[in-house]
Amino acid sequence: MSIIISSCSRLPVLHIICELLVRAHVPSPEWAHSLYAVQHTACNGSSGLGLYSRPFIESFEETPMLVAVLTYMGYGILTIFGYLRDFLRDWKIERCHVAREREEQRDFVPLYQDFENFYTRNLYMRIRDSWNRPICSVPGAKVDLVERVSPDYNWTFDYTGKVVEGVINMGSYNYLGFAENTGYCADASAEVTMKYGVGVASTRQEMGNLDRHEEMEELVAKFLGVESAMAFGMGFATNSMNIPALTGKGCLILSDELNHASLVLGARLSGSTIRVFKHNNMQSLEKMLRDAIVHGQPRTHRPWKKILILVEGIYSMEGSIVRLPEVIALKKRYRAYLYLDEAHSIGALGPGGRGVVDYFGLDPRDVDVMMGTFTKSFGAAGGYIGGRKELLEYLRSHSHSAVYAASMSPPVVEQIIASMKCIMGEDGTTLGRDRVQQLAENTLYFRRRLTEMGFIIYGNSDSPVVPMMLYMPAKIGAFGREMLKRNIGVVVVGFPATPIIESRARFCISAAHTKDMLDTALSVISEVGDLLQVKYSRHERLIYDQIQD
Amino acid sequence: MAFEDVWKKISWLYYQYILVTALYMLEPWERAIFNSILISVAGMAVYTGYVFMPQHIMAILQYFEMVQ
Repeated sequence: MSIIISSCSRLPVLHIICELLVRAHVPSPEWAHSLYAVQHTACNGSSGLGLYSRPFIESFEETPMLVAVLTYMGYGILTIFGYLRDFLRDWKIERCHVAREREEQRDFVPLYQDFENFYTRNLYMRIRDSWNRPICSVPGAKVDLVERVSPDYNWTFDYTGKVVEGVINMGSYNYLGFAENTGYCADASAEVTMKYGVGVASTRQEMGNLDRHEEMEELVAKFLGVESAMAFGMGFATNSMNIPALTGKGCLILSDELNHASLVLGARLSGSTIRVFKHNNMQSLEKMLRDAIVHGQPRTHRPWKKILILVEGIYSMEGSIVRLPEVIALKKRYRAYLYLDEAHSIGALGPGGRGVVDYFGLDPRDVDVMMGTFTKSFGAAGGYIGGRKELLEYLRSHSHSAVYAASMSPPVVEQIIASMKCIMGEDGTTLGRDRVQQLAENTLYFRRRLTEMGFIIYGNSDSPVVPMMLYMPAKIGAFGREMLKRNIGVVVVGFPATPIIESRARFCISAAHTKDMLDTALSVISEVGDLLQVKYSRHERLIYDQIQD
Repeated sequence: MAFEDVWKKISWLYYQYILVTALYMLEPWERAIFNSILISVAGMAVYTGYVFMPQHIMAILQYFEMVQ
């Protein structure tokens, strides 16, 4: 009989007890093995048990103390050398490649002197060759990169003229493998380009509303299970331009700690009061809702005009999935509205690929505003908002994006229609369903193998976004370069996208990856992990090869 | 043959030192400055220990009254 632990896995008392038990060679109880991998079936005191139809397993292993200290030391050394280099640049001993003020404006208030720029000049520039790598083929499961070298430590790049071919692509958000230049979707887009051209030359409200747009929006509404939907040209603009249309002054926005920049920008532009609750923490959200309802607006204590909860389906830096059943239960109890941003989870989660609502088996009508993007799983570009008919009619005339932004280009619209029909199974094949299943299998396999190897992996065990912790600044650059040498392209992330010591490498699994590709990638990751010594996890490590034999 | 293995091991250890102290990201002349400062400080500490160790040991033994 297993003991159920609450999701607060960072309790130091449990750590101490476990360490003592392990040292005393007492056979530790079964729950101790899941100390860092948290099995969530009941939480928050309230009816957690009835809300989840499947186990919710996520883990965020704590940073080892020695690694944290060494990481800070590394950043300290880099900062000292950064000051040295800035001093040399300032006294003209060294040539300065960065933008500086003109001679005539030397005594004005400086434009370029805060910490963010210090970080860019002295830390980011040194390992800049791991980012912005130019690609010259379709970013499917394998991609071709343009080879480049830098004679002056990444300030400028020269192209050698060669192309690195067949690099296994672990960085593209190609969850269902629709980023391809052959096949049904590509042919349909090519035909539509022949008929409609590429540019629309107008906004949706004026002359830019094609019949393909109408068909696409009906299809999106059917796919999501909502009454009506509307699509916009850019995913970022969908969030930042529509949240101001939904809320205004006198409204309250409760936004998750780790929300994407587009949601934060939209919330700030709207002029509402913003309160941030701890990441995926339902107690924090409930407390804020109760405070909001009891105390009302700050000085006048009038009730809030509306309360909007902003969450994402999958958080791409952590790989965690939102606790949607609990959020919906809270929203219903406290009469708030829910805005769900399914940028990474649409197409990638759920038995039918219909997103996080499908994954938990909930009713799409419970979510007031369902937002998502077409960039990730559909191989196109743009964003959509789905919801009730009245909401969408309001947005069609009041959203900034609908009024001022150019409408979506016809081949992109056709790609969305074709890929969505494929996922839904309406094109007569089982290709869509196979891909969704392949993605789920690939995700489970990849995550399990990485955890067995001893890396610290964050997030939910079902999410196709796999962040692997690196921590130290030099290892960020080293990991990116060593993986490229061995023909695997990965995305590494550091400050400011993540907290300063928690830098990571983020793998995105795709349905287009075959098991051979994943095995190659895993063996290379293990080799590079041993070379760089990034296998920090303190779980019991299963030796996979021995078990295989 | 043994020298090859030893050399490889030392190279790997140097690589780990470079990664942990973030010298991996610095240019060769910056690494030279850091390494020379580190070696000179460590060298001075070792030399001081060597020069003063007999006196310190005698002082400890006298404190514990094992030797007059």
